Amino acid sequence: MSFAMIMQLIISGIALGFIYSMVSIEYTLIFNSTGLLNFSHDKLIMLGAYAFAGQFVLRMGCGYVVATIATVLSMFITGILIAKGIFNPLRNMASPIFAVIGTVIMGRIIKELCRIIWGATAFNIPGFMKGTFKFGSIVITRANTYIIIVAVLLVIALQLYFNHTKSGKAMHCVQQNKTAATLMGINVSQNINITIGISAVVCSIIGILVISLFSVSLTMTNMIGIKGFAAGVIGGFGYFPGCIVGGVLIGILENLSTLVIPSIYKDCVAFVLMIVFLLVQPKGILGHKK
Amino acid sequence: MKEKKNVKIALLAALFVGLIVFPIVDKNTYHQLALAQTLVNVIIVLGLNFITGLTGQMNLGTAGIMALGAYSGQLMVQKLGMATILTIPVAILMGVIIGYALGYPSLRLKGVYLSLTTIGFSEIVRLVITNWADFTGGTTGVQNIPALNLFGLKLDATWKLTVFLVIICAVLVFTAYRIVNSKYGRVFKAIRDNIEAVEACGIDVAGLKIKAFTLAAIFGCIGGCFYGFLMTYLNPTQFTQDLSANYLLMMMFGGIGSVPGSVIGATAVTLLPEFLRFTKEYYWLIFGIITLLFAIFLPYGFISLFQKEKREEAGIFKILNDRKGKRKNAGVPKSGGMR
Repeated sequence: MSFAMIMQLIISGIALGFIYSMVSIEYTLIFNSTGLLNFSHDKLIMLGAYAFAGQFVLRMGCGYVVATIATVLSMFITGILIAKGIFNPLRNMASPIFAVIGTVIMGRIIKELCRIIWGATAFNIPGFMKGTFKFGSIVITRANTYIIIVAVLLVIALQLYFNHTKSGKAMHCVQQNKTAATLMGINVSQNINITIGISAVVCSIIGILVISLFSVSLTMTNMIGIKGFAAGVIGGFGYFPGCIVGGVLIGILENLSTLVIPSIYKDCVAFVLMIVFLLVQPKGILGHKK
Repeated sequence: MKEKKNVKIALLAALFVGLIVFPIVDKNTYHQLALAQTLVNVIIVLGLNFITGLTGQMNLGTAGIMALGAYSGQLMVQKLGMATILTIPVAILMGVIIGYALGYPSLRLKGVYLSLTTIGFSEIVRLVITNWADFTGGTTGVQNIPALNLFGLKLDATWKLTVFLVIICAVLVFTAYRIVNSKYGRVFKAIRDNIEAVEACGIDVAGLKIKAFTLAAIFGCIGGCFYGFLMTYLNPTQFTQDLSANYLLMMMFGGIGSVPGSVIGATAVTLLPEFLRFTKEYYWLIFGIITLLFAIFLPYGFISLFQKEKREEAGIFKILNDRKGKRKNAGVPKSGGMR
């Protein structure tokens, strides 16, 4: 087992880990602002991938930059529509079970829409983010490099937005106390709409990034969706730094675990870790208390 | 009042007899399969109703429970040459084990955390079944499942299995009904509505939560066991998150927390594709939209149309009432989400 090989495993683990981190950031946004968990977030990521690859690049022949902008915009609008149609009505129901079922059904509807519009067969964008970079003896794929760069930029952008803009600060207020926020003149429902819109944008970015890792199909995001939940639990639920730490940790451990256990059980690592953390340390690694 | 009850019992008895006669008379295997599939789903939804509908613990791992129930028995038949009738006790035993294994975490975890645990459980089960190819058959699954042998009476045709399923299902529906309307059922509901009050009454919440989980797992495992006999092959790709979501959907469609609701929901969701066949590939889309509207406007399901107080607790009737201003300020206790 050479040093270069371990390094390579760690780097690809970090890249995949950042994907999990972004997934967990995306649902933490919704969780913090509405108190609901979006169980169909993986379907939103899939929708982003389909919109980018299926609609804008392959059908309409846009360039990558134009397609990215179009995807992000259309997903933002989708997010706001979902918030208005589903999250805001379900937020006030007597039991959270209805909201869970509501989001599950929403995922089913999105999946069916994708199947009907773009077909059930998996496809790929030829040559999109393919190729490798070489640093000494370590080879990194182009996709992994882009993932790490985009993820870091995204996290910085979100931090700036939440800490330095008026609407970002208003979102903090809504997270902490909805009644007080209303009294301070913040429109809570509208605020939630925008938060879910941003979450959908993050979803679309994840969707575009994972196209090169998995081909575009109806089941492409099942795994990263659930592992994103695991990342949130391990890092600390509802807390952004926790999401990042948890995601990267899962990514690295998962890849390194192939040195010890058969690689087919690689996917179990995240779930076992999640259950152990839920039982032993529910606050997560960072021990953040809400 | 008494007469009304008698009529109800007579109608149920007629339905039972009708369901037994149906597969014997109707020789169309497709109809028999549809009926049998419905009955299996009814059993599983009844189980899910105990834990999610009554006790309010969000279980998203039904697929994992079903898979364990189906695989444990069938693997013992295939590897150890066990008699097929014994798969049912094995499934029940498996249900008890799962119930305890999933019930203990539920004592410490609430809301979303529990849902995540059950998702994790279900995924681990699926991954292990997929990858432990030497033992479980991997993605090729367990094939050529032998017919269920009832002490010499071989259920080798679909109609025989269907008749047996009708009987089993009737027994389980009756059991579920009796449990829901017993001391336990009422405590389950109380745990959902106000857990502190239940504890204050000196009731053992921990033990009851585990009981609810065990019941759910037993029903799920029995359902899984019959699912195996019905399909005659088992394959890990059947037991995905989508399957768990389907069962939740069935429960919600009929009516959360009610036995007739569960039965109606399971029947409707299983059989609707046959009636909505003209919609072809749009079926799931249309059905999804219908259920979403249900979730928002009629959250207590189809059955709540006939129950006045439930109907007006949430959804479209509440909205209409609020508009009219009839509803006095005694509102539904608002929950602050799943924290």
